[in-house]
Amino acid sequence: MGVWHLTAVELEALKLSLWVSAWAVAVSLPAGVLTAWVLARGRFAGKHFLDGLVHLPLVLPPVVIGYLLLVLMGRNGVIGALLYEYLGIVVAFNWKGAALAAAVMAFPLMVRAVRLALESVDQGLEAAARTLGAGPWRVFFTITLPLIVPGIITGAILAFARSLGEFGATITFVSNIAGQTQTLPLALYTLTQVPDGEAAALRLCVLSVLIAMAALIFSEQVSRRFTRRLRGEQ
Amino acid sequence: MAFMKRIRHLWVLVLLFSFGPNLGTCVAASAVNDLVVFAAASTTNALGEIGTLYEARGMGHVTFSFASSSTLAKQIESGAPADVFLSADVPWMTYLEDKKKVAPENRQELLGNRIVLVVPADSPVKAVEIEPGFSLSNVLGKEGRLSMGDPEHVPAGKYGRKALEQMGVWDQVKDRLAPMKDVRAALVMVERGEAPLGLVYATDAAISQKVRVVGIFPSDSHSPIVYPVAAVSGGKMEAAKPFLTFLKGSEARAIFLKYGFDVR
Repeated sequence: MGVWHLTAVELEALKLSLWVSAWAVAVSLPAGVLTAWVLARGRFAGKHFLDGLVHLPLVLPPVVIGYLLLVLMGRNGVIGALLYEYLGIVVAFNWKGAALAAAVMAFPLMVRAVRLALESVDQGLEAAARTLGAGPWRVFFTITLPLIVPGIITGAILAFARSLGEFGATITFVSNIAGQTQTLPLALYTLTQVPDGEAAALRLCVLSVLIAMAALIFSEQVSRRFTRRLRGEQ
Repeated sequence: MAFMKRIRHLWVLVLLFSFGPNLGTCVAASAVNDLVVFAAASTTNALGEIGTLYEARGMGHVTFSFASSSTLAKQIESGAPADVFLSADVPWMTYLEDKKKVAPENRQELLGNRIVLVVPADSPVKAVEIEPGFSLSNVLGKEGRLSMGDPEHVPAGKYGRKALEQMGVWDQVKDRLAPMKDVRAALVMVERGEAPLGLVYATDAAISQKVRVVGIFPSDSHSPIVYPVAAVSGGKMEAAKPFLTFLKGSEARAIFLKYGFDVR
């Protein structure tokens, strides 16, 4: 077995990380697009407040987010207790909680990317569609949405990469359970805490760097291709 | 010209960033009696109080860094500026001894501790009889988890696992754990009622109003819980000596006892 051969625990952590991150992105994507749209187009009293709230996970220590999630979404949390009582959903100590923590931490990145795309949309096109008789929903789905696809893809992939790296909120909220909540960074942390774990920790470091780089390059490529297509350059 | 002005402002920032922290440490480290003490998270409250007393006696200023023993040992190995290290278990002190960061003649055993079972204060569970083959599943219920320090690397978790194995109940709970990154995090899970049962040090249970001790593991069910303390080689050895003596003195002992430690 070579140095670069992943052990069963590490492989499980890798799979779990991909699964958790995919769910985090899937769940937060609709909410992210909606929030971005509200922030880009809306004119209302609490806009700055909402903007600040969305960006909090970017600037707060992740442990704070993890603790707030525990207080709000835990089995005895304000929202967590209701979720359990009415829907039978428990997020404490399982992968769903890990996905929730990752989604919250990655949310600002997604919203920023989509909002940027929305703000660069030529609103004249939307207005033209409206004068030709299209309703607001039709305008959004046939004009606005196709124009912001590159932004959505960038946002989704950034959020995916951020989710893969989530550590502080996850370990605080859902602990470090192998196969349930022990994602790649948590497995790596455990390895750095045992005296003979250096080689394995280094292996996971390299793996994390490779995945993150691949995601970033992929996101850049895809959004370029879509931008070119939107400009009609094929 | 406006461009030049901006450049000049940048220089101020660069200067601040490069010298600011150094200036700070120069001032802080000026007195020869000032110590930096790296100590296990479970000693936070007791050592904080002792540090205040040490300063009040005019013996010198003590700065603490509290974290899990493993984290601290790794930091000291990488050259962190610690003068004294108080570890929650023997292996991490021996680890530093092997790395020539601690001299064997400079280390001594300071404290002892016990492993206890705790439940949230409002739990209906009154007591858990700790005897060979006792049942934990009725306390944990269908989906509850046993909150403890990660048995992979947190000392409290390693002792806990040993004790549960000794009692023949480890297999009952090994898939029902919530392994936390340190023992205080394990305590928080029980305080908040997220875990119906926790395995922590007697000292952690003693400082919390929100948990209740329902069982104490016999001290022979795991290897003795010993907190070794040592002056770190390359640190201020001379200044560390009076502090180590102070830790063994009657005033410090009284404080350790108050927080539930055994003193050695």
